[in-house]
Amino acid sequence: MYLKNECKLEGKKVYLIGSSAMRDELQAVGIQQTGVGEDHISGKQMDWANVDLNPEVKAVVVGFDEHFSYSKLNRALQYLVQQPGCLFVGTNRDTRLPLEGGKAVPGTGCLLQAVETAAQRQAQTVGKPNRYMFDCVASQFGVDPGRCLMVGDRLDTDIMLGSNCGLKTLLTLTGVSTVEDAEAHQKSGCAERQGMVPDYYVESIADLLPALQG
Amino acid sequence: MAGAFKGCQKIRGPQLRNLLEAKDFILLDCDGVLWHGEKAVTGAATVVNSMIRNGKNVVFVTNNCTRPREKYVHKFSRLGFTDVMLEQIFSSSYCSALYLRDVVKITGQVFVMGCEALRSELQEAGVPCVEDAEDPDATIYNCPLAPDVKAVLVGHDDKMTFLKLAKASCYLKDPDCLFLATDIDPWHPLSGGRILPGSGSLTAALEVSSGRKATVIGKPSRFMFECISSQFEGVDPAKCLMIGDRLETDMLFGANCRLDTMLTLTGVSQTKDAEEYRDSELTTNHSFVPDYIVDSIADFLPAFEEQDKRSN
Repeated sequence: MYLKNECKLEGKKVYLIGSSAMRDELQAVGIQQTGVGEDHISGKQMDWANVDLNPEVKAVVVGFDEHFSYSKLNRALQYLVQQPGCLFVGTNRDTRLPLEGGKAVPGTGCLLQAVETAAQRQAQTVGKPNRYMFDCVASQFGVDPGRCLMVGDRLDTDIMLGSNCGLKTLLTLTGVSTVEDAEAHQKSGCAERQGMVPDYYVESIADLLPALQG
Repeated sequence: MAGAFKGCQKIRGPQLRNLLEAKDFILLDCDGVLWHGEKAVTGAATVVNSMIRNGKNVVFVTNNCTRPREKYVHKFSRLGFTDVMLEQIFSSSYCSALYLRDVVKITGQVFVMGCEALRSELQEAGVPCVEDAEDPDATIYNCPLAPDVKAVLVGHDDKMTFLKLAKASCYLKDPDCLFLATDIDPWHPLSGGRILPGSGSLTAALEVSSGRKATVIGKPSRFMFECISSQFEGVDPAKCLMIGDRLETDMLFGANCRLDTMLTLTGVSQTKDAEEYRDSELTTNHSFVPDYIVDSIADFLPAFEEQDKRSN
């Protein structure tokens, strides 16, 4: 939606580091992409720097991509430095993607940081804690921030989003962040970190059941 | 303006000759100073050969970890730099091997996210690396990990994959597993203004996923200077001159090691970049400012021609 409505890329093309699911979402709003899947560049270093670029590409978009590789990092860099006016958008900055059993894999934030560092340029990110997603929700439903509750497990994305949008925030302890993390932000005395302090916390979302059943 | 920070002194001719006479050790960056790719900077070979012939200790300090030192010796020879010995070459891959062997005295294995040259320098130093084996059944969600990995080393890796990032992140969950980077250069320059993603971009990705900061071996960290000091007698920072082309790497390295610094304009950074740092209100930016600036290393040529005339 951001790419269609804010960047006006409907009918245009982007270089996508992301999944086939992302490709489908883009296609649904009329945005074409190149780049999904594996990427192998051959030859010497100079060939890599002179890799073929599609002149129709108007933006580099970075999301979660298990096919991420140096080749893709290189291609994204070449679009950003060689294609004039190329936009740079990331879906989110999550550092890890939590899995079952306490495992985790590197998150989109890692891939984005790689491209940002190489290009020495910051991407515009759309995901939490950026308020864009809330604005999307608010524009589709009649929403009064004063009567909203943001429920999440990550202080730096979910709770931060809630704070950025003036919502009440509730941390559940079934995920990434702990009460100790929240208290550390609160005690830090740093104004920026106060946005990561939830108003409330519960052990689990199931704790809401009695209130809803009553 | 009284008290203004100086630096950026354009230097040539007799002043340059005097500076050279006051220095015993010349530390030279390679890419952008001595050569661009396979093309030597005009006059660079003559200058370096003359420095060595005139009794200066010349060492080469490069963050480029993509070539083992033996190949650097061949490159120097190919491009006309005669008499450059292995012992004069300090690359970030060689120094990473020294760090692991001599400083850390590593007992387990090292997981290397880097090029073949990096692995071969480690192997040459007797530091065991995890085998770079193909594992078709491995997925990012379930990848087999090697036992006894005591360090993760990140360098330039044009075969980097998500799987490698995932494995490295797993190893780094153990706080006793070291996190090292050959260098943090965000991009490497090629000729014609082209660039490629650098080790810094891969290190940044891993820092985000692990929540840890890497220990940097290469410039601007001091370690490569410590390697030089331990391998040569009588290295006095006051009698050293660091010559490079990248402010954030070479000049900062020089400042960190208390060396005089010289920027050549044949590479990455330009005079206006140096002046911006000089005029900055942030005093930390002053560490990026070179003491001296020359257009090219070839500006040293008259100093030797003068010397040759006098001795004839």
